[in-house]
Amino acid sequence: MTTMPSVDAAPAPAGAAPVAGFAARAIGLRKVFGHTVAVDGIDLDVPAGAVLGMLGPNGSGKTTLIRMLLGLTRPTAGAAELLGQPVPDGTDRALPHVGALVEGPGFHPFLSGRENLRRAATMEPLLGRREIPDAVDVALERVGLSAAADRRFRGYSLGMKQRLGLAAVLLLPRRLVVLDEPTNGLDPAGTRDVRRIIAELHAAGTTVIVSSHLLAEVEATCTHVVVLQAGSLVAAGELHTLLAAGTTGLVITTPDVDLALRALRGAGATAYRAERTSSEEQAVVVADDGPPAPELIALLVGEGVAVHEARRSRTNLEELFARLTEDPS
Amino acid sequence: MTAAVLPLPAVDDAPRAVPLYRLLGAELRWVLRRPRTLVMLGLFALVPVLISVGVALAEAGPGEGLIGAVAGNGLMLPVVAITLSLALLLPLAVAMAAADAIAGEAAHGTLRGLLLAPVGRLRLVGMKAFGVLVVATLAVLALAVMGVLSGLIVVGRAEGQLVTLSGTAVGPGDALGRISLVVLWTIGQLAAVGAVALAVSALTEHPSVVIASVLGGLIVFGVLSAIPALGWLEPYLLTTGWTAGVDVVRDPMPAAGLVESSLRALCYVTVGTGLTVYRMLRRDA
Repeated sequence: MTTMPSVDAAPAPAGAAPVAGFAARAIGLRKVFGHTVAVDGIDLDVPAGAVLGMLGPNGSGKTTLIRMLLGLTRPTAGAAELLGQPVPDGTDRALPHVGALVEGPGFHPFLSGRENLRRAATMEPLLGRREIPDAVDVALERVGLSAAADRRFRGYSLGMKQRLGLAAVLLLPRRLVVLDEPTNGLDPAGTRDVRRIIAELHAAGTTVIVSSHLLAEVEATCTHVVVLQAGSLVAAGELHTLLAAGTTGLVITTPDVDLALRALRGAGATAYRAERTSSEEQAVVVADDGPPAPELIALLVGEGVAVHEARRSRTNLEELFARLTEDPS
Repeated sequence: MTAAVLPLPAVDDAPRAVPLYRLLGAELRWVLRRPRTLVMLGLFALVPVLISVGVALAEAGPGEGLIGAVAGNGLMLPVVAITLSLALLLPLAVAMAAADAIAGEAAHGTLRGLLLAPVGRLRLVGMKAFGVLVVATLAVLALAVMGVLSGLIVVGRAEGQLVTLSGTAVGPGDALGRISLVVLWTIGQLAAVGAVALAVSALTEHPSVVIASVLGGLIVFGVLSAIPALGWLEPYLLTTGWTAGVDVVRDPMPAAGLVESSLRALCYVTVGTGLTVYRMLRRDA
């Protein structure tokens, strides 16, 4: 890959941007396990303050990419930077400011949630000894685990384990938070909590990288999106730019489809019957190259077509994702 | 981006690592909170008690071998208990601690957390070696302390003295000095086992592999030393010197075996630690 798909929408040339402006960078990162290419030369700049959603089917290289960014796995080729520090040589400077939940929460089964969290807090260079008990309590509160804090981790449900993993990330204010599949095993309330926590982190200026297979979550919380497929980036950019690029026209819901099509085509618009399988409502789709929407609707109403609804068709992330990652064959 | 930014410490100025004593304290707490450590220490405390009861129940009069030397000679008990345990039980305990230290943390996914905190990889090895050494020391001390107590209470003593294997009697102060020496020497031998076990632990994420390797290694060493044609191997086998522990209860005390086996243990510690560090600096987590 020779181009640099930067998720930074600013038109600054890639090389000229100040390094400190990126929370994380991948420069030609590549990882090969045996004969399997897990990550195939990815270039990625994560601007500070962004919430980056990382999407991709299972095995597309999301976790391996995250692990290389954090210095947990050595890349076969390429380099990574974390908070402006080279990985792995500068990770001792960067990692205290980074909170990460990678490949599920890791805790000791024989300790309680609180004790596990206290052990994690003890290892945090930015937490003073006296600050630890308060930091642990606040983090437990934020993920809604206060009531179960003194039970052994062994007895936690999958969702509670995931919450404890989040609590470890939230022990102190971070510059960068990396969440690998944070909603795994969470009930709908837990999923909402994760969304709220990401929003809080974003508001506090923390950069968030979140990988997820729950596309709705990414769409609801992210400012930027990258899509991975077979170890390569197939799309990268700001969420609204990516979604706007997928605009397909105006959708008009009406029972009088034939009448509407005749009227629209008569007015010089490209119109066709919308494919609807899940709904009994019929609709027509009008491409954007014809007359503007208010004129079209006035025309239809004038022709006696019953217009029930008219809306701009925007691809949601799910359609975009499917289009980008599905095998064309 | 225009999001509000918290007054976070600058990346360059902020602390990069927690003080070492905090790491060691956390490791100590973790090792001692682990139920299996406590059960194991309890079992080690039972070993001398069982021997003393066995000796007391046996026919009066000096019996055969090491156990026999304990009869009516309580201060001999800790030395005997430690020597017998060194054959298998103590290495097993150390292997378990080393298995949990790295492979166990990796299996639970907590090794990742330690590296991300970040605990530097070199400091991580130091912290883990400390934890294993603590377990080894506590196990030997459990044997020694309970050995002295049950030796004096259950077995009784020959006028507060220790009758050596050479037949002479030494005073209680001298006896305790000799017991301390065998404790130190045993910890040294266990450090060698622990260093090798940690190296295996750094290579795998299955704790059982570590325990199997150490026990398998001990058995192989035992077999090798039993083959006369392989006698030239003996100086290289850690277990060769493990009979030297009872030298502390001879009079005069022959130092050669103790010194030689300690030097051999030092070699194992060096190699094991080197391998552990080499592996941990490169390990994926």
